[in-house]
Amino acid sequence: MNHQDHPTLAANFNKDAERTTWHDETLWFVRQKRDRAIYPIPEFQDLRTLASEIKDHTLSNLDNYLIEFEQNAIKNGVKVHWAADAAEHNQIVLDIIRNSCKVEGRNTRMVKSKSMLTEECHLNAFLQKNNIDVVDTDLGERIIQFRDEPPSHIVMPAIHLKKEDVGETFHEHLGTTKGEKDPQILTEAARQHLREKFVAADVALTGVNFAIAETGSFVVCTNEGNADLGVNLAKVHIASMGIEKMIPKLHHLSVYTRLLARSATGQPITTYTSHFTKPAEGKEMHIVIVDNGRTQQLGRADFRNSLKCIRCGACMNTCPVYRRSGGHSYDFTVPGPIGAILSPNIDLHKYSSLPFASTLCGSCSDVCPVKIDIHVQLYKWRQIVGQQNELPATKKWGMKGLAKVLSMPKVYNIGGKLARGALRVLPHGLTHNQSMNPWAKARELPDAPKQSFKEWYEENR
Amino acid sequence: MTSRERILNSIASNKPALTTLPTVPIFEGDGSIERFKTVLEGIGGKAVEVSSKADCQAAIDKYYSDLKNVASEIVKANVAVNLDTTKEVLEQVDLAVIQGEIGVAENGTIWVPESNMLNRALPFITQHLVLVLDKNTIVANMQQAYAKLENAGSYGVFIAGPSKTADIEQSLVIGAHGARSMMVLIY
Repeated sequence: MNHQDHPTLAANFNKDAERTTWHDETLWFVRQKRDRAIYPIPEFQDLRTLASEIKDHTLSNLDNYLIEFEQNAIKNGVKVHWAADAAEHNQIVLDIIRNSCKVEGRNTRMVKSKSMLTEECHLNAFLQKNNIDVVDTDLGERIIQFRDEPPSHIVMPAIHLKKEDVGETFHEHLGTTKGEKDPQILTEAARQHLREKFVAADVALTGVNFAIAETGSFVVCTNEGNADLGVNLAKVHIASMGIEKMIPKLHHLSVYTRLLARSATGQPITTYTSHFTKPAEGKEMHIVIVDNGRTQQLGRADFRNSLKCIRCGACMNTCPVYRRSGGHSYDFTVPGPIGAILSPNIDLHKYSSLPFASTLCGSCSDVCPVKIDIHVQLYKWRQIVGQQNELPATKKWGMKGLAKVLSMPKVYNIGGKLARGALRVLPHGLTHNQSMNPWAKARELPDAPKQSFKEWYEENR
Repeated sequence: MTSRERILNSIASNKPALTTLPTVPIFEGDGSIERFKTVLEGIGGKAVEVSSKADCQAAIDKYYSDLKNVASEIVKANVAVNLDTTKEVLEQVDLAVIQGEIGVAENGTIWVPESNMLNRALPFITQHLVLVLDKNTIVANMQQAYAKLENAGSYGVFIAGPSKTADIEQSLVIGAHGARSMMVLIY
């Protein structure tokens, strides 16, 4: 499929007004749950500051922390691999599977818990091409895997779907009764189906929420228990992590575990906060440390602190644009405000519309648990998009025209007069023509005043 | 150059000037049993106070008499679980009763190290989970919990309530993949 820009995809999403409203309200409900979860914590703002400063420090010494982490992980009996990009990550995972999970007469079976990094690397498609059966085990991820769709949210991957959609998908793939849409019954069907997969798996892959330099451990947070079930039943555990997951000390988790789930879903903590340090006896544990553009982002002074992100999704839940345009309209692994500042680093041309998918209201920065200045970075990316000549023609020439007019007071005054006159006499169908005036989509202009403020001021000063 | 060297070199040339690592204070807070119980019940768990660890058996008899296959070192068990127990046996466990080490009042979570699990998969594959907790180990928040936790061992998990999901239309469903119910016996 050709890449389409955010306005086009958002317009598609908005064709179903009822669903758009539902999506908006559902995510706002999660935002409100977040508020209720943070207000009882008197030191919540202190925790945000600490979380931000710990990450700032870690990024400023990241190479040394990665080396310390690697040394400790190796001491713990874990195998550490390094991948410069997505292709290398995928090849490493495949090689581990081929070396450690030899099976005869059938495909190797992998169960996966949620990992945005493997989404970013398109690992599933690569492994399936190489005859590895991959099953996503997070309920939301399993739903979208059945439907062959990407996640639309990093914490709630199937938030774009209604229970009727899930019922239809499960009827087709799991044989639930046609028309069944009770979340309890559908979840039970998935539980039975996935228990079989957990027990049958040869290898389990997880993401990493935090990696601890001083101990060589890593932490995975889930609510469903799918990460622990998968890795503790399979012979081989592979954990994929971006370089930015590091924190220096074990006790730094005390800051992040108080912030992550509260910011994400309004829970006091995830059900399972699992600390992996050494493989169980007779089993293997591998960590794949991935760059894939992150070191480049580290070099961009204005944008590097986007690497502090702990993937809670709070910026999505609060964003008025995300809520009304849906995760798929961003067409990037990480949607929403944080995705809009991460994606231009990867491909400025392809994602040039994303920094504009914002009202710059700043709500994303207000809720960010690690205090990333998201809306400031959105604004800065806009400047770069302009400088790199990646603005759409209408925006580019519109801006240039406006800059000219605003720099010439005479032209501005005459233009204002003409426009006020024109608005009074021209037919509504012309002034609100949506192809000429996209602003007028779902908006009404106020009646044109007889005089400008400047004229009024001259008379009344 | 290996990818490892490439990544580390690239970080070295791109990283900003070194900033200070802040000190994380041990925040004060309410570490009462009452708060622990209220929060745990708010996240779908159940908390029951018993007078001593020996009384856990009576509580299990009272609440779980309908469950057949029990794995535990604390109460009467009829499924022996250890490091070598097969998946097929683990799959049949209805109830696991396991010792928890640290309770956190602010979020209802309990630290369970591998050494208490009998088998790493047990707390997750069991249909129902009971954690047994000494009331003196309950602390107010995660700063206090990690201060007590000298190291994370080979493997250890903070468990807060039963397995749950809200992936279908944000409707909360208890019992996703792990335990369908979770009770804490506090002595």
